[in-house]
Amino acid sequence: MNPDILLTGPGASLDMPAGTYFERFGITHEVLRRVMDAALSRGADDCDLYFEHALSNTVGLVDNKVNRASTHVDLGCGVRARDGDSIGYAYTEDLSPAALLSAARTAAEIAATDSRRKSLDLGCLALPDYYPVQQRWEAVGMDVRVPMVKRWEEAAFARDPRIQKVQAFLMDGEKVVMVARPDGRLFQDYQPMTLSFVVCTAVDGDRRESCSYNLASRAGLEFYDDPARHESLVEQAVDRTLFLLRAGKPPAGEMPVVLAKGSSGILLHEAIGHGLEADFNRKGVSIYAAKMGQQVAPKHVTIVDDGTVAGSRGAINVDDEGNATEKTVLIREGRLDSFLHDEISAAHYGVDPTGSGRRESFRHAPMPRMRATYMEPGPDDPEDIIRSVKRGIYCETFANGQVQIGAGDFAFYMKTGYLIEDGKLTQPIKDVNIIGNGPAALEQVEMVGNDLELDAGGWTCGKEGQGVPVSHGQPTIKVGALVVGGVDA
Amino acid sequence: MNQQEAVDYALKRALALGAQEVKARSSQVAHVELSQREGRLEKTSEARTQGLGLSMLVDDRFSSHSTSDLRLEALDAFLARAIDATRVLEPDPDRRMAARDLMGSRDLASLDLYDGSHVDQTPEGRRNWVSELERSVLSAGRDDLVSTTTHVWEVTSHGYVGFSNGFGAATASTSYGLGAELTLQEPGDKLPEAYAFYSARHLADLPDVEHVAQELWRRADEHLQAGPAPSGKYPMLLANRTVGRILGAVLSPLSGSAIWQGRSIWAEDLGQSIGAEGLNIHDDPTIPRAPGSSPFDGDGFASRPRPIIEGGVLKTFFVDLYHSRKLERDPTTGGSSNLVVPPGSRSMEAIASDLPQAIRVTSFLGGNTSSASGDFSFGIRGQLLEHGEPVQNVSEMNISGNIRDLLGSYTEAANDTWTWSSMRVPTLLFDAVQFSGT
Repeated sequence: MNPDILLTGPGASLDMPAGTYFERFGITHEVLRRVMDAALSRGADDCDLYFEHALSNTVGLVDNKVNRASTHVDLGCGVRARDGDSIGYAYTEDLSPAALLSAARTAAEIAATDSRRKSLDLGCLALPDYYPVQQRWEAVGMDVRVPMVKRWEEAAFARDPRIQKVQAFLMDGEKVVMVARPDGRLFQDYQPMTLSFVVCTAVDGDRRESCSYNLASRAGLEFYDDPARHESLVEQAVDRTLFLLRAGKPPAGEMPVVLAKGSSGILLHEAIGHGLEADFNRKGVSIYAAKMGQQVAPKHVTIVDDGTVAGSRGAINVDDEGNATEKTVLIREGRLDSFLHDEISAAHYGVDPTGSGRRESFRHAPMPRMRATYMEPGPDDPEDIIRSVKRGIYCETFANGQVQIGAGDFAFYMKTGYLIEDGKLTQPIKDVNIIGNGPAALEQVEMVGNDLELDAGGWTCGKEGQGVPVSHGQPTIKVGALVVGGVDA
Repeated sequence: MNQQEAVDYALKRALALGAQEVKARSSQVAHVELSQREGRLEKTSEARTQGLGLSMLVDDRFSSHSTSDLRLEALDAFLARAIDATRVLEPDPDRRMAARDLMGSRDLASLDLYDGSHVDQTPEGRRNWVSELERSVLSAGRDDLVSTTTHVWEVTSHGYVGFSNGFGAATASTSYGLGAELTLQEPGDKLPEAYAFYSARHLADLPDVEHVAQELWRRADEHLQAGPAPSGKYPMLLANRTVGRILGAVLSPLSGSAIWQGRSIWAEDLGQSIGAEGLNIHDDPTIPRAPGSSPFDGDGFASRPRPIIEGGVLKTFFVDLYHSRKLERDPTTGGSSNLVVPPGSRSMEAIASDLPQAIRVTSFLGGNTSSASGDFSFGIRGQLLEHGEPVQNVSEMNISGNIRDLLGSYTEAANDTWTWSSMRVPTLLFDAVQFSGT
């Protein structure tokens, strides 16, 4: 947990219009072109400069007091030189022309010829706005943040006397990025984020449980204008904790699994999404590498990865290579339709990039990543889906997941759910890992509900040491068989 | 500014702006990383990075901050706004730092964390190294290989920590590493993968490329044709390099924060038996060249070894100064450094040969644990053994239970301590663990 208060830039205000980001980074068109020319000077095919100024704040309530806060400021530039599929990467926090040129020359070393390629005049291109902000966080004082977290705590204690401890955090951040390319493209983007987080501990007799809930969005303070959002945050944190007090473990073994709408999209993220990131496929190391165009799921399954869902945590106006984002259909009516591409994989496959080149920060090179991954709604009534199961489990909330790209094995951790017995939800269950194989699970998606919901939680996807914000969602679905980590088998 | 000058500047400036106490840490890190695939460099990455982190008390109110923008005018504005914002918080005087005379540092040189070999490394030398590792992996001549990528890296870190009470100390360390990953083709759709990575404080301590390649292929063969075994209770041999995941679940509830927040299964167990009699775990930040070694901890206390579990009895909580005041007990240290489980006398193979049936867990997939209840559930991969002989490579299985029961079922440690991480632990045997599979 890294709380945060305020931030400051290098003497600049976040309210600057997009055209003046040059001032924020203290650079000029001429410097950008010189640095790109240096990155190309050893014969690289292409390069990009990624400038970033990130500011984040957290305030935290612990022990009934808003008694901690933190701020983080990150400023720097990453230089990538590309020579075919090979990458030279360097970055610097010193944005002086000399330091930028030094980084560019280091990155350039990936290639080994003399280059005549020179960068072209830069033109700033307009972007869509999938996260319009009314109240930027920079202008929000601590006097606004402090009462918000206090309100969450008071509401949590008031909801049930078994709640013994409450922690509450409000995190917000703003990232200004600028991407320059030698073909003259210049992109600037302002990327807000907020995440609210409540943790409860409850005691009942000798049972003690703790659980948390969070909400996230690419938005400014207006995200919290809706009172229902505050209520949902607290109710979910409290009710999930109380649920755990009366929940047990399911039996161990293979059984049908019904996944509730919303955060069960973690199944798509782990079982399918990562395997369709094209860097794995161009190297032939994903289990999906040879399945393009094949029927990999029943016809009622359509899965997309979408950077355009307004305000979602996974939304991006432009990817981190400077390519337009889009809604990419990965699996169309059961047939594998597209991978997620960055520029390197797109060139490898001879297709257009899908706007999926993302990175954690200027310290990292971009690679194909998910944005908001979800399954389109299907034909089934969610009640019918539960009724169709004689003995299995219903998974309602989730904590985390993981996948092995080549073997295709994936796992996700169910925090809360129910046993299904004779078509009815019966005993509450908790804390089980569920494991399966991606392609096998896809083939076994037997029913798809008509109740798609994109989860509002603050999910972060980790890949090769880089974390990026993502979203996922799903309608209620039934998977024929997965291995449930229960007891007493 | 060097690291100490940056810290001194931040301390002085923050105090002048009204901070009552300040701790500052400045770091400069240089890293070089190369990866190679299909006979050519796939990626090179190189950078020299810097940062300043601060925690401060202003009118008994606490906040923490970090920045990579060290231009003086930006830093001044950053500190001023940080202090102004801190004033709006509620007081928390338990955050006050320790008295200067309680602070101290071990002799940094005795820990031997810095190896200057990197100055002799050349770009060509690193390229040769990553190429040799690739050649060594490819020399197995396997026609089921789909792809392999090899990696080498080096990291050099210099830092300085200063407290406004006058305590200050420098740190310096290096880390060198190499490793490789591969993907194989097998009948059916699956493309099993394996990896083997090693890092060490000193370049000379790393294994040679042949050792890494052999270990990589050995692990890869353990992943071929894997699938779930029948559900049931099995003895579990937890491979040395994987024990950390379970130790993490055991240790996380030992933190002062978990205890204070009512999220610790061990809160009432200090001095009590929480595991089998043979179970011993200690924490040692003073092991020369070890990844978790450090001359002092986050509160500025000189580091020292301490027992965590002795003969199955819980000996220590990880309580930093702040939570020691909340809990009204003496501080120990805020977290683990190098965790050590003493080796036993027998090899893993000898232990396994006594067991009619057991599952040797070699990696985890997903899973989680609750520090409040101790419940855990993890996905696993490994081998089903009969009298020590592998009879099936297993995957798509889970283990589930409670860490209290798991520690109670601990039986024996092998003599194969893993020395490449801060978890210096041999393979451990637990006698009856719930596995779910087919």
